[in-house]
Amino acid sequence: MIPQLVTVRHRRPDGRRRRLYIPVLPVLLVLSPLLLLAVLAGLIACLATRVSPVGALRGTGRLLWALPGTRFEIEQGKTAVLVSVR
Amino acid sequence: MNEQRRRILHMLAEGRITADEAERLIDALERERPESPRGATPRPKPRPKYLRVVVHSTDDAGGDGPSRVDIQIPLQLLRAGVRLTSLVPPQALTRINAEMHKSGVPIDLTELKPQHLEELLEQLDEVTVDVDDPDGKVRVFCE
Repeated sequence: MIPQLVTVRHRRPDGRRRRLYIPVLPVLLVLSPLLLLAVLAGLIACLATRVSPVGALRGTGRLLWALPGTRFEIEQGKTAVLVSVR
Repeated sequence: MNEQRRRILHMLAEGRITADEAERLIDALERERPESPRGATPRPKPRPKYLRVVVHSTDDAGGDGPSRVDIQIPLQLLRAGVRLTSLVPPQALTRINAEMHKSGVPIDLTELKPQHLEELLEQLDEVTVDVDDPDGKVRVFCE
């Protein structure tokens, strides 16, 4: 399943916290025109470098599908950053 | 407590059998009973799903206090990444090899096949790295 929600949490040294919830599918839909351009650019790059475009698309899809469950949490003193993909 | 065991204990309490007889009967019951799930039929260990890297550092060199890094990566993501390496064109690999050789790292990446990396990832399940230092602690493991 593709990622559904990306959560970004940030704690500043002054103690202020910021939480950002990014719903992936709506964002992808909004950015779909740009995404289409990016896919086209990727295909051209694949042809230029003689990489199989189908293999590249499949590999990118696999990466995207495997992303849920990824979590990065970095904390230093009073500063902290958390990125979680669900 | 099952019904048969209860009956044996009841007979013992009533004095109809001696303690030795009760013990023998209970032993016989246990021999007859199919092996319990926690006995000889251990469930296969579930396969780990994530690679975790946890770093605790008490070193206050930056003056910001202790730091902590906790990274969780799905093993499936590692596998997908490894499969992507098969897309790297051979001419790029040759150039990478030349540059690495120049930097004193004589590793031939063309010899590294995706199936080797797959095998490596298969064995990664068992890997645990623990580094204990007075200033910090690093743990790499799969869960």
